[in-house]
Amino acid sequence: MAKETVRVLVTGAAGQIGYALVPMIARGVMLGPDQPVILHMLDIPPAAEALNGVKMELVDAAFPLLKGVVATTDVVEACTGVNIAVMVGGFPRKEGMERKDVMSKNVSIYRSQASALEKHAAANCKVLVVANPANTNALILKEFAPSIPEKNITCLTRLDHNRALGQISERLNVQVSDVKNVIIWGNHSSTQYPDVNHATVKTPSGEKSVRELIKDDEWLNAEFITTVQQRGAAIIKARKLSSALSAASSACDHIRDWVLGTPEGTWVSMGVYSDGSYNVPAGLIYSFPVTCQNGEWKIVQGLHIDEFSRKKLDLTADELSEEKALAYSCLS
Amino acid sequence: MEKDAVRVLVTGAAGQIGYALVPMIARGIMLGLDQPVILHMLDIEPAAKALEGLKMELIDAALPLLQGVIAATDVIEASKGINIAVMVGGFPCKEGMERKDVMPRNVPIFKAQASALEQHAAPDCKVLVIANPANTNALILKEYAPSIPAKSITCLTRLDHNRALSHIAERLNVHVSNVKNVIIWGNHSSTQYPDASHAIVITSNGEKSVRELIADDHWLDTEYVASVQQRGAAIIKARKLSSALSAASAACDHIRDWILGTPEGTWVSMGVYSDGSYGIEPGLIYSFPVTCQKGEWSIVQGLNINEFSREKMDATAKELVKEKSLAYSCLAN
Repeated sequence: MAKETVRVLVTGAAGQIGYALVPMIARGVMLGPDQPVILHMLDIPPAAEALNGVKMELVDAAFPLLKGVVATTDVVEACTGVNIAVMVGGFPRKEGMERKDVMSKNVSIYRSQASALEKHAAANCKVLVVANPANTNALILKEFAPSIPEKNITCLTRLDHNRALGQISERLNVQVSDVKNVIIWGNHSSTQYPDVNHATVKTPSGEKSVRELIKDDEWLNAEFITTVQQRGAAIIKARKLSSALSAASSACDHIRDWVLGTPEGTWVSMGVYSDGSYNVPAGLIYSFPVTCQNGEWKIVQGLHIDEFSRKKLDLTADELSEEKALAYSCLS
Repeated sequence: MEKDAVRVLVTGAAGQIGYALVPMIARGIMLGLDQPVILHMLDIEPAAKALEGLKMELIDAALPLLQGVIAATDVIEASKGINIAVMVGGFPCKEGMERKDVMPRNVPIFKAQASALEQHAAPDCKVLVIANPANTNALILKEYAPSIPAKSITCLTRLDHNRALSHIAERLNVHVSNVKNVIIWGNHSSTQYPDASHAIVITSNGEKSVRELIADDHWLDTEYVASVQQRGAAIIKARKLSSALSAASAACDHIRDWILGTPEGTWVSMGVYSDGSYGIEPGLIYSFPVTCQKGEWSIVQGLNINEFSREKMDATAKELVKEKSLAYSCLAN
């Protein structure tokens, strides 16, 4: 018996990430090859024609799983009945803009979208915020959609998580699917902390610690961290555009694992509403290691945090507290 | 037990279609969810940095099926051991240019790539040409890679085929997966002939003829044909860029059906080396209705061709003959 259709919203759908993401969703990469979907695509009026072009292309692709496409500039129409919302749209930082200016614009956007989602989305709608500053945009969304359970509002750090896995697999010359359990702590920004202390590699003689196999703590504590932190900038330098393909792919991974569950013994990184675990201040959207089951995420507890890591966890938490204060000052 | 990795080459990989296509390949959309792949990506020297950026992003995506990535500006390195080649790269038609202007530039590209593929690709390498003029680029490739079997060299008309399906689906307000067996005849150009004469809709009362259900022959013979033919231009008008997402998706469909087989009772459209079927001149790369089984395509035979269709099929063949002789005259100079 065919599954019931799931409605997936993508905001900023006419942009680069949207263009990479929508065919992945329509092919079942996000929710499974047997899950029919209806795509809701939202963008701003200046992008209406381009958005319609994307809709035309989705129609032209004759996707078996794609049961409908709604392309709109109206946030209410876009949000109606959605089960999953991927918020890619936001105000991009332009040359000469200060943090406060970018924050101010995004705070207004996420405040109004919070309202529309809360009123019109399906019950138990799962939200993934991608647009930067992702953690703080997600926090604003949470604050202005109080009837959406806070556990349903997340932000994307899976791209950083996947980048960390990729760097380790390159260093060890192993398949990336044999590496697991890195952690991205904190803010999806340059203060994120890519932590390999609990990461493992599958080898013919069983699972081994990444730290032991690499045998280069200096690299792991310095260059590895900055490489992952700054990878976004490296991509922009090479492509002259920011990451779209890998961001879209990671968004699919984030939602898929959240909805369908993480494999046994494996965790992933998600920006989630902090409950005070690991002495991270409660009430921030902070990236933690999580496992997922039955459509719910749960922070992995009891991991040992050494002194080096403690400092890094706190540094990124401080930045998030500052961003939160800045966001609130924009609102008042 | 895990399958051996398949090597897939994408030329012009740093461009728009490449960017849409490579994640689809790496996610198993082209060859199946259990088929590991190694991607070979080729582009020209000016695009080397962008190509490197693309390789970085593929690594960053931590894709389980992707067992390796080669980014190259050297066609020989790119062609080594390739099992499937998707030729997206070619000299683009710029504003004010006509097809014949771009022909002298594309012919040498496809001649050189033919040589590299013939010498370095794996035996039984399957080739899909997308770069326009697709049919004629494929023909040049075939002529200059004589040891690659003619049946292994094809061009993409699956995008037009998918567009033809969805136009009918929209008109009948049914889901596109319930429409099948349209045909795209001929050249991937404005002379292509989208033919719904044998197309079928799956309804709750069984399979029905599209022509009967639509009950509007005039629309099917005029507006419908023109819409499908001109859809590419309509996309450019809306996006200010040509179709990449839908072209990449159709490329995956083309290869997947070729290798894994078409479903029972269903055919698809592929640009293939003509053997004289349906009175089409042999020795052209012409889009026909085909079924696929065990990695081979075969032209659906015995379909009735009415006068209207005959004219259209001949017109697009004529254009291909002209393109062929233009291509040869470029090579002679």
